Amino acid sequence: MPFKSTPQPFKAAINAVTIGVGDKAMTIGGENVLPLYTFDAPIANPPKVGFEITDTGLELAIPGIAALYEGTSTIGERAKKAETLEGVDFISLKFAGADPNGENKSAEDCAAVAKEVASATSLPIVVEGCGNAEKDAALFEKVADALADRNVLFMSAKEENYKAVGAAVGLAYGQKVGAESSVDINLAKQLNVLLSQLGVKNENIAINPGSAAVGYGFEYVASTMERIKAAALSQNDTSLQMPIVTPVASEAFNVKEAVVSEEDMPEWGPAEQRGIDMEISTAVSAITYGSNAVILRHPESVKTVSSFVKAMTE
Amino acid sequence: MGKFIVIGERIHCISPAIRKAMDQKDPAPILKRAKEQLDAGADYLDVNIGPAEKGGEELMKWVVTLLQENFDNVPLCLDTANKKAIEAGISVYNRQKGKPIINSADAGDRIENIDLAAANDAICIALCSKSGVPADNDERMVYCQELLERGMGLGMDPSDLWFDPLFLVIKGMQDKQKDCLEAIHMFTEMGLNTTGGLSNISNGMPKDIRPIMDAAMVAMAMANGLNSAIVNPCDKRLMETIKSCDIIKDNCLYADSYLEI
Repeated sequence: MPFKSTPQPFKAAINAVTIGVGDKAMTIGGENVLPLYTFDAPIANPPKVGFEITDTGLELAIPGIAALYEGTSTIGERAKKAETLEGVDFISLKFAGADPNGENKSAEDCAAVAKEVASATSLPIVVEGCGNAEKDAALFEKVADALADRNVLFMSAKEENYKAVGAAVGLAYGQKVGAESSVDINLAKQLNVLLSQLGVKNENIAINPGSAAVGYGFEYVASTMERIKAAALSQNDTSLQMPIVTPVASEAFNVKEAVVSEEDMPEWGPAEQRGIDMEISTAVSAITYGSNAVILRHPESVKTVSSFVKAMTE
Repeated sequence: MGKFIVIGERIHCISPAIRKAMDQKDPAPILKRAKEQLDAGADYLDVNIGPAEKGGEELMKWVVTLLQENFDNVPLCLDTANKKAIEAGISVYNRQKGKPIINSADAGDRIENIDLAAANDAICIALCSKSGVPADNDERMVYCQELLERGMGLGMDPSDLWFDPLFLVIKGMQDKQKDCLEAIHMFTEMGLNTTGGLSNISNGMPKDIRPIMDAAMVAMAMANGLNSAIVNPCDKRLMETIKSCDIIKDNCLYADSYLEI
């Protein structure tokens, strides 16, 4: 008997969330099928690939990135270069320098940096904080004001600061709120419930349910994302129908495979290539398990992952 | 896999306020009860207009339109002995949020309601009795087969027949309760959907006892597979029990605020 394929789209769908404005605005989510299951129904908004720029420029230590930025001196110029990368859909601006335990840059300084980047690029912008809950809340408020007309996604509101971030970013400025939990499926749902009880509309929320580099507990990330998509689609759980955005860069480039130098481990080959490999493997795995967008650090990864997405969804 | 479906029972012509509102076509009391039930977590609303021999068609159309226009096409369960009124209700029914449910067919005089459901692509509650209370589960299963065969013979999907084991009042029929749970278990094993007028079990008990008894029954029935019931969603204890059982059965992902959503 010949095989007859029966498409199985779900009645429920992931929310479509638009980030950015104008021609280059992007929409993530909207699908009513499991990740990359184009044989069940078309996926209108394939997963998006973002390129990370940090305010501190630490990534310039990687030769391939330094080469991209050759001849630039300001973060605005770097953003302009980033825009030309093959396969890039959005810019993710990370304020690593705002960390109170590091450079402790003021929220006002960060807002000025954000403005500079925004005027240099028309790509959609995602803003990543420094990870300190209190500082991020203050920082996001200033940046949300500075980029009021750019429809920015802020990463992230956490259990410790969701009220401040949700109120400032989501309610006062109508920007998009990222809800972050660390591989805790119940907290992922709870944060969405709390944000919506606060008044943030579901279609203005994206989630980062946690990430890890492959080989470093990624199976927990995978099963969490799998359960989220199952609840969203097969159980029509409206508290989990938010698209997933996964920051891969900081995970992939911080594990020993990417960090140990070639001098220390000659048999492993060049460190940069290992970082790229970790980043690509992690990003592709994340997309396969349900990320609607990934944030990457290396131009080579952006190129490869975007061509993977194209091959899988076209 | 899906969440338990709560069919709100409070729009019922036995209630004097609702009866009067239906007679006078006064929207306010009906809308108030609908809102209370939806706020409390009802998925479907039962609309019981009684036998409605006179003017039933017009009345059902009026209530269906009234509720769906005011509550974002809320799905409804049409409950009357007047078949023409059910058809009239379906003719104005919007399916955006779910198919209409016909309440109900049995294996006796009301078996033709299955034909009505099949002809109108509706869900039909299939009561496993003929005349009066089935003596045992052998009898229940015979009726179940009759109803199932009739529906499938007319091209219905078995999932659109929601089998009602006939919940019986505890005061007087205490010895029949285990049968009822066992019947739910058997329907579930057959892959069938189940529902029923669960609060019937606590009829005649003191007001403060009823929510306790209903909650215990729903938990035991859900453990046996019950996936819907026609109940009073404004009964907080009952709703908390249903939501908790949905978590335990993994029908719904846990979050600390699960009782609030």
